Amino acid sequence: MTLQTILLIGVVLFSALAVIARDLLKAAISLAVASLCLGLVFFGLGAPYAGVFEISVVAGLITVLFILTIALTKTGGDVREAKLVNIVFPLFFLVFLVVDALVMRSLLRKIPVLDAPAESGSFGQVLWQQRTFDLIGQIAIILAGVFAVLALFRKRENHD
Amino acid sequence: MIFLFIALPLFTAALLPLIGKLSRRVVPDLVGNGVLLFLLVYAVVAGRSLIDAGPVVQQLSWLGESVNIRLVLDGFSLFMLVTISLLGLAVGLFSIDYMEHYGAKGTYYALLLVMIVGMNGLVLTADLFNIYLFLEVGAISSYALVAYGLGHDELEAAFKYLMLSVVASAFILISIAILFGTTGDLSLGGIARGLKVLDNPGLVAICAALFIAGFGLKAALIPFHAWLPDAHPSAPAPISAMLSGLLIKVSGVYALTRVFFNVFGLTPALSMVLLVLGTVSMVGAAFLALGQKDIKRMLAYSSISQVGYIVVGLGTGSPLGIAGALFHLVNHALAKGLLFLNSGAIESATGTRNLDEMGGLAKRMPLTAATNLVGSLSIAGVPPLNGFWSKLLIIIALVQTGHPVFALIAVLASVLTLWYYLLIQRRAFFGQLNARWAAVKEAPFWMSAALVLLAVLCVGIGIFFSAVIARWVQPAAGVLADGTQFLLRWGW
Repeated sequence: MTLQTILLIGVVLFSALAVIARDLLKAAISLAVASLCLGLVFFGLGAPYAGVFEISVVAGLITVLFILTIALTKTGGDVREAKLVNIVFPLFFLVFLVVDALVMRSLLRKIPVLDAPAESGSFGQVLWQQRTFDLIGQIAIILAGVFAVLALFRKRENHD
Repeated sequence: MIFLFIALPLFTAALLPLIGKLSRRVVPDLVGNGVLLFLLVYAVVAGRSLIDAGPVVQQLSWLGESVNIRLVLDGFSLFMLVTISLLGLAVGLFSIDYMEHYGAKGTYYALLLVMIVGMNGLVLTADLFNIYLFLEVGAISSYALVAYGLGHDELEAAFKYLMLSVVASAFILISIAILFGTTGDLSLGGIARGLKVLDNPGLVAICAALFIAGFGLKAALIPFHAWLPDAHPSAPAPISAMLSGLLIKVSGVYALTRVFFNVFGLTPALSMVLLVLGTVSMVGAAFLALGQKDIKRMLAYSSISQVGYIVVGLGTGSPLGIAGALFHLVNHALAKGLLFLNSGAIESATGTRNLDEMGGLAKRMPLTAATNLVGSLSIAGVPPLNGFWSKLLIIIALVQTGHPVFALIAVLASVLTLWYYLLIQRRAFFGQLNARWAAVKEAPFWMSAALVLLAVLCVGIGIFFSAVIARWVQPAAGVLADGTQFLLRWGW
């Protein structure tokens, strides 16, 4: 329980750091660490498949893609941000954490829960026999992402 | 074969960018519109006969082995499928000419079809996590389509839309996690059964509040509307029509309605929340629309106002109110689709969306002016057009369920709606022809064809409203009026 709590705090802190960090490389690495913590939380909660996916795809593959993209991007052309954002976001985040802690503390033991069977079956069974339609949705999401990149990075023709 | 509604557009979308490399114009137009036409015909002809004996649950198999893809077609989902296909086809036809100067038509149609996949998947699934997943499919393609013009405004609007949409998704996902954690199930029927056993109004209230915030953002109800007046005007006109006419209704209104009516069951408290949110949107957005000079921005605010009518109708919880709300959903989809396409025709001809710069365009663009008048009067609720009947049903239902004040507000909001639509008529189409538009020509063939198709539907549905209600709206309203019993009875 203590380890889970530490990991969850890690998820929140590194996620916040990923948003706050001005250096894109640091932001990408923070996101990877947050994702790693989340993957370990999944293992702790008895969801190994979700844990493996989280660590291999989000913490691993996507971080590599982010770092590659950052390495290939030219420096310069920094976006100027309003100073207000730097104050408002951490403040909002702190308020959110306090409210979240208070609400969840009062709710957690009051919400009744039905018994549910533990996750069972091999990886193939879970993906193919239990959540097959998710695969179709995921294919559609990947295609949407690919087409979005094709559309947004295309050479403009006669427009404008 | 219900799966075709998802598989066909998805498979075609995967091929379209390649097809676009081989043929830059004709073949992507042909393939994209061919698929949209097929989906419409399939929904109208095969879909209706499929559900004649009641809802259909389709379990797919792969090489003789059963896989867990369960699709459900009932009166409500078929009603939505027909609406999606109908407006999708009109948008596809309009895009043939309109998207010519944007380039990369193969990619454009691919994104449009993926958006259709997202909406079709959402209305056909009976699993809450799948609803979230297909919500995201539609949303991701729509971010790219809003930014399709690649201008500064388009990119900024798409980013704002993305940020607020992510917040909406987070609310929805938290609520799904709570429901899964407490009931141990993700199917709509399983959750409905679990909630019945738990019998905990507090749990339902928390999840309902999160869903209202999430789906309310997707539906752009006031006070969750900030993204819509930027995103919808910035997108290319056919995409504005899809977003305002369909996406906010499918990912906002449909999903909210399905969960509130069939999973939670509409309680008096939820009913009042819907009535208040709907009324605030109806009136607030109508006032905001009045002050706009940008025609597409005015239409965007009008969408928020009209979604308010739909939510108010649903909030009555009576069979008549639900039928009125669903009828208004399809009527608004057609009329607002028509008006956004119309604004695209005007912008394409004049290069402006500013109403102050227009004037007298009816002389140069008579077909555009005539179809705009039909769309405007339909949304304002002028008889005998389709919008009149749906608003009438909603107002009668409000009176019948003991909400005369809400009924009066709905009537007054309708007067406001008529006011700002008449302003569009006066400022854009009537009066002296602005000298700048002396050489302006009527919209090209396919753009005009799409406008005429939608205008004819607005008039036709208005004249044959009783047949449309009996054949398409009543079966859909029946699903919602049955509440949680509907899912429990069919064992989903």
